[in-house]
Parts: sequence; structure tokens; C-alpha cells
Amino acid sequence: MASKVNITIDGRQIQAPEGMTVLEVAKKEGIFIPTLCYLDALEPEGTCRLCIVEVSGSIRHSIRVSCIQEVREGLIVETNTERIQRNRRVLMELLLARTPYSKELLDLAKKIGVVTSRFHAEEFDDCVRCGRCVRVCRDQIGAHALCWVNRGYQRTVTTDFDRLSEYCIGCGSCVQVCPTGALKMEDRGNERIIYKWGQILARFKLEKCSKCGKPFAPRKYLEHMARKVYKPRGQELAEIVCPECARKVERRPFPAPEFPVGKTPFGF
Amino acid sequence: MLDIETIDSILAKFPQTKGNLIAILHEVQNHYRYLPEEELRYISKRTGVPITQIYSIVNFYNRFSLKPKGKHVICVCLGTACHVKGAEKVINEVKMKLNIDVGETTDDMKFTLEEVRCIGACSLAPAVVVDEKTYGKVTPKEMSSILAKYNKE
Repeated sequence: MASKVNITIDGRQIQAPEGMTVLEVAKKEGIFIPTLCYLDALEPEGTCRLCIVEVSGSIRHSIRVSCIQEVREGLIVETNTERIQRNRRVLMELLLARTPYSKELLDLAKKIGVVTSRFHAEEFDDCVRCGRCVRVCRDQIGAHALCWVNRGYQRTVTTDFDRLSEYCIGCGSCVQVCPTGALKMEDRGNERIIYKWGQILARFKLEKCSKCGKPFAPRKYLEHMARKVYKPRGQELAEIVCPECARKVERRPFPAPEFPVGKTPFGF
Repeated sequence: MLDIETIDSILAKFPQTKGNLIAILHEVQNHYRYLPEEELRYISKRTGVPITQIYSIVNFYNRFSLKPKGKHVICVCLGTACHVKGAEKVINEVKMKLNIDVGETTDDMKFTLEEVRCIGACSLAPAVVVDEKTYGKVTPKEMSSILAKYNKE
């Protein structure tokens, strides 16, 4: 059991376990802090800086990024002061400068009181450089297909040598976690492409379902699943069944029982 | 062409840990004067560092180059002191003489022109670094004689 520390968030006395970040504690207590790059499943990186809070007490009075600020005994956190709101609005405007059409970002902007941006970039792409896609590909999937290139304003997400990625497995996690929809995935017939503004990142042929004949997943993805999910359970990828067919074939009572050996339980 | 022997001999110098990547890349760059793609892919395989990470690192540091560089790299300092002392004229002289822009290499692979912000030799402003040698208080006229000197080599 981790030892507990006493902190104050917006005037509320809270006991939080050591090692937790301020954002995590605030979320647990139901205190709203706007976030963009933060995702429960990923290690926080503190890139978007929307989750800034004012801290004082046991550390110097300052503005910190709450998603990477660990709690400490006697910490006093203010999440919505005048100063924070002012800073947040500027940050949001800067983010919007390059991403003026993203609905998700505009919704978040409205929440913190920003309608339009004073800043205008020469080029638009929907990417806000939050790095969720890079982190999910690297830390969760382990495919290492995406990376950052260049610095400062030129910073972008791309694949190795800007080519079609050999390492991408076509799972689409990067597309799932993208907060602004800058990364997109499309299945066209029996082909899947993952692309961003002006660049195709990966292209796949889809394998057909052995039951209904519908193309549904790239080979590499199935192999990855076999290696990561089935092998630890002592199972093998026996036949390729799409999630819909798997659901029909193995209609199971909830909670699902252990999968029989040798079957492909897609659609869990 | 992938030159496995050279890379292997470079890799053999370093213990197989991830922390040595930058040092390895420096050695490779010194050997080829740039970082060829195939070699980087081979290094990735041998060291176990994902190629995307290597690509990221190579892109991040200005010292690394993915494009072949010329035999002599001319770095013209454009820091504040050099700028005031007329580095612009010096760099224009190089551009005109070699007919290349900043970051480009001449067709005969002899010279590459680069600009740097400050090399810490402000007392020598305007300063120019060719390969490892620093030239101070360079005038456009001197610049062209320096170029001529390296061109002969």
C-alpha cells in the first residue's frame, strides 16, 4: 500500500496515494481539467499543456502541467484561476492556429471560452502534435511505426524515411487515439490505407474472412494478434474469422468462458 | 551498397547498449560523411533500436545528415556578432562562387554550404569554419581565396 499524502485541489482536502499525478487525482475527484494529449492508457508526456494548473504550498508558487506533476504532501492546487484561464486561452488559440477546422478541438475551445484564434498559420493540417499516435504505436502496440521528425514548427509525425511503413501492422490504434482526426484510416475494397494530411503512412491488403468472405484485417495485424494475444494463452491462429462471424459462431453467455484451444476468438 | 564490414567494425567498438547509438551514428557519419539509409536499417537490426527512433534522432540533431555531404563542409557563422560584421556578404560570396544555396552541395561533391548561429568565436567575427579549421575576420575576398585553396586539394 502506497503511503498517502494530503493535498488541496480547489479548496478541497484530498488524500491521494503517493506517485499519482495531479491530473489523475483531480479526475478521480471529478474536478474538470481540460486535456488533449493525456490518455489513460498512455504514459503522460505533457505536450499539449492545456492541463496547466497553479500550484503552491510545498513547492514554489508556479504554473505546472498537471498530467506530469506528481502529488506531494501539502500541495495546494488551483485548477481554474484567472491566471490559468488566461494562459489556457492563449494556448488554445495557438493550437487552433494550425487546426482551425477540427470539431473536437473547437468543442474543447468552446468549453474554455475560446471561439476564434488571433493567430493564423500559413499551412493547415489537423495535427496538434500531441504525440498520442507516436506513443500508442511505441508503448502499447510496440510496432514502432511512427516517429517524430524535425524540430520546432516543422515537427511532424511520420514513418521511417517518409516511406510506406514496413513496421505498421495496420491496427489503427493511432487513428483511434488521434484527438483531432489528423490521422485517418480507410478500407477501400480489399485494401486498407492509413494516411495523414498529404502523406500515406501505410498500405495493406486485407485478408478475407473464411466464413463470410468479407475482407477485414491485414495479415500483419492477425500475426501480431496471434503473437501477442493467443500465444501467451497457448492458442494458435487457426482460421481467419471476422469479428461479426466470430460473434455469430461463438455466441457466448456473459462473462465469456475461456476460449477453446485452437479456435480464433475474434470479436471479444 | 550496404557495406556490412565497415558497420560491423564500428559496432564492434561499442558495447551493445542503447546508450551508444549517438556515438555509433557519429562514427558512421565520419566514415561516409552522411548517414545512408541502408546502413541505418542495418544498425537498427543489430542494436535493436527501432528504425523510427533512429530516424527521429538523425532528424533532431543538425550534425547528422541524411543527404550526402561534400568533401569540405563550409560553415558560415551567422550569429549576432558575425551578422553585424558582415557575414551576409561572406555567405553571398560563397553562394555566388559555388552556385549553391545554404544546405546544398556542389555537383562535384566538393563543397557543402551550411549556416550556423554562433560558434562562440565572436571576437573573430565574421567567422567561417571549413571542416575543422576556423577562419576569423573573413572578408568576401579572403573567402574566395579560401575556397580556391580547398578547391585545389
